[in-house]
Amino acid sequence: MKILIADDSRVMRQIVTRTLRQAGYDGLELIEAEDGAQLVQKANDEKPDLVLSDWNMPNMTGIEAIRALRASGNNTPFGFVTSEGTQEMRDTASAAGALFLIAKPFTAETFKENLDSILG
Amino acid sequence: MSATMAPTGDDLQQIAEQVWASYLDTDGEKPLVPLPPDKLSRDVVAGVAVSGAWHGLVLVSCSTAASKEAAAALLGMGADEVTVGDIDDALGELANVIGGNVKSLLPEPCTLGLPEVHNNADNDPWLEGDEICRFEATWMGEPMEVSVLEKPQGGETA
Repeated sequence: MKILIADDSRVMRQIVTRTLRQAGYDGLELIEAEDGAQLVQKANDEKPDLVLSDWNMPNMTGIEAIRALRASGNNTPFGFVTSEGTQEMRDTASAAGALFLIAKPFTAETFKENLDSILG
Repeated sequence: MSATMAPTGDDLQQIAEQVWASYLDTDGEKPLVPLPPDKLSRDVVAGVAVSGAWHGLVLVSCSTAASKEAAAALLGMGADEVTVGDIDDALGELANVIGGNVKSLLPEPCTLGLPEVHNNADNDPWLEGDEICRFEATWMGEPMEVSVLEKPQGGETA
């Protein structure tokens, strides 16, 4: 399984990587993007099995990125990992085609609850 | 802003303790102690602006030593190995996560800005505002503070 992790913070990309490991997912190929524009490019070029994306990023936000992907016919499974978890944002994410929204701070258990159906 | 929408120091404590338990004290050996430090420090101030129905800032302030330890804990490396870039990224992300959680207590609709890290906090116009609440703590013997500042409606938050 190839997972694309998009977050403008290197620290957070590393925490997401660590949490995937703590959640027991082994043998993953992880690739990274620093903003939504890179996300769209890598989602098209590298064809990941799942995108885990921050919401608030420079150049292109996560929600803009998923809308761009879906508009171009790219239906890669997509979930948000973001510091905001309001119902409004969950609804917006869902309407754009996201499978889930994990709010920071998260734990390995939160990752398992949301990712087991995809990676388990 | 109505009183029911205002975050409190207790809210900040709860959010900060969750963040520490998830990211900075995962083994339970480096707890955030909710005690005011001997001396507050604003060596490093990381913040996110909130704009929309409410205008202001959510800030994380600490000493240089605490900022190095935080970056080291988040990146899984030694405090003597972290770079200035690591510290800015780590503290900015802490402010982002705490800010995102504080935003859920503020009037809607609001937008969260991208995090900024300011190293010379004195007389910094970005950091001006009316303090709504604050949580002071000691972490690894160093001062750590989370605070929320409100800016006048339409005030400069960028």
